[in-house]
Amino acid sequence: MSRQGNQMKTRAKLKGNIQSWLIMLPGLILMTFFVWEPLFESIRMSLYKTRHVELVRFVGLDNFTSVMGKDDFLQALQNTFSYTFWSLLIGFVLPILLAMLIGETTRGKSFFRTAVYLPNMLPGLAVIILWSAFFSGEKSGVLNILLGQFGVPAQSYLTRAEWVIPIIIVIATWKGAGATALIYMAGMSSISPELYEAAAIDGASVWRRILHILLPAIRKLAGTLLILQIISVFQIMYEPMVLTKGGPDNASLSLMQLMWQYAFGGSMNYGKASAVAVTVTLILLVMTAIYSWFNRKESDWD
Amino acid sequence: MKKIQHTGVIREYDLHAPSVRVGYGFILFLCGLMVVVAVFPLVWVTLAGFKNLKEFVSSTSIFPESFSPEPFATTWNQLGIARNYLNSLISVIGSVACALIFNGLLGYGIGILKPKGHGVVKKLVLVSLLMPPTISIVPLFMNIQKLQMGNSFLPLWLSFGANAMYVILFVQFFESLPGSIIEASRIDGCNQLQTFFHIVLPLSKPICAVISIFAVNAAWSDFLLPYLVLRGAEKQTVMVRLFVFSTEQTVNADAMMRSVVFAMIPPIILFFIFQKQLTENAVSVGIKG
Repeated sequence: MSRQGNQMKTRAKLKGNIQSWLIMLPGLILMTFFVWEPLFESIRMSLYKTRHVELVRFVGLDNFTSVMGKDDFLQALQNTFSYTFWSLLIGFVLPILLAMLIGETTRGKSFFRTAVYLPNMLPGLAVIILWSAFFSGEKSGVLNILLGQFGVPAQSYLTRAEWVIPIIIVIATWKGAGATALIYMAGMSSISPELYEAAAIDGASVWRRILHILLPAIRKLAGTLLILQIISVFQIMYEPMVLTKGGPDNASLSLMQLMWQYAFGGSMNYGKASAVAVTVTLILLVMTAIYSWFNRKESDWD
Repeated sequence: MKKIQHTGVIREYDLHAPSVRVGYGFILFLCGLMVVVAVFPLVWVTLAGFKNLKEFVSSTSIFPESFSPEPFATTWNQLGIARNYLNSLISVIGSVACALIFNGLLGYGIGILKPKGHGVVKKLVLVSLLMPPTISIVPLFMNIQKLQMGNSFLPLWLSFGANAMYVILFVQFFESLPGSIIEASRIDGCNQLQTFFHIVLPLSKPICAVISIFAVNAAWSDFLLPYLVLRGAEKQTVMVRLFVFSTEQTVNADAMMRSVVFAMIPPIILFFIFQKQLTENAVSVGIKG
């Protein structure tokens, strides 16, 4: 009797398992088709000579050596690191400052939150086109109009090799900083007010409270957001594509943009495009690994 | 009155010190400046839309000579933006439906049903969250071509059914639901699919709302995959059209600014309707952006 009961139970369990997998199946098929298989395929494709969508023959690392041997790759690699550098310089501390500022306000806090978040909702492409008119070199360009009020003569911004990358980062920061600031605000709101009260009673000034209570509390969050920011800026692609087409003279060409050019820029060389994509993935994996290694060490010491 | 309490580093008693009071005034000034920086470009682009081409390229004033809506109407009609709006609408509706159904069911499997081996799927989803999505755009485009799904909305809709971020959000929410309710529905004789549609989904309105808002915005803003897939002019969405304008430079600068305004209007409306949900949930979903 009990054995029969057990058997029925296992059969019901098996049936439940199969049913569950059937429910997950559509989602699994889509994840396979849109995410997992393409990821795997892009690694495979980077090792093949391709003609249109067909793999012609296995060529080992030829795609990589041929891609990396070209000047535009080195330029793009350097530019991508330059994007990352500027992004950290301009875009890392700003959201923390915004969050601190908004956190101190009393009246109108939700208004400020809403306003800084607004740019994040706008379509990235529209934002880029909007700002391209802003930085336009014509005397009708908005920045030229604004600076003209102070007597600064009209000049061209996007054709200066040393300015394009910082300008693109300023635009990306304008769009994204508010959303990041809200994440920091959530982190800061979890600090117990009693800590501040206690510190104040002990005579700690506002600055010391920021230095010894607020900043340590968001340090871990800042670390996570830092690595996410690096990962996302490393893949910068459509911003320079639309704003400067990689120019002037490849000064703003990014790695992912180079990948797009190989694939869809006329030559349809999917093998080489995948080689660039895989290279970017590898660099990102190494950076993530370094980050988690540092992180592990830190938590060991704590 | 909870609202006027100081919740930050600066507390009420600090404001007795004049230096802190000055500093506090400075903070308010900076916050105001921040709002101006966030909003000014939008105001400017709208004002620029009122200018004709000659005025747009030569005028050194931010304000247009006249506020007649005629330039907007002309651009709308000449470029046939209504068609693109309709296409974007089709793309958005299908994408949101797929985002909710497929990611929801997968999340239900991982978060509630937990069949044998679900841990592997959960890990795979987590890993794909770390993988940059643009990297696989080439093979993905090849897959779509091989299945001859080019020039159709179907692959764009379905691509929203495979979003690791949405799956994780569903899983997190489902895991917080009380297990007793799901157990009860099972005892009442609901099968797993019925439990999902009659019990789990109605309880999940908050997370469905958040994911819908983000899927609407993402589907509206997306242009790389749509540009590759929707090659025919009759199916182009607003964003694809704008991308074509910007790469081929077939429209004048003033019409371009009006197109930008057209592209921004729906997200801005969406934003003002759902601003509370958005700013409150930015924490959980913001990492994605």
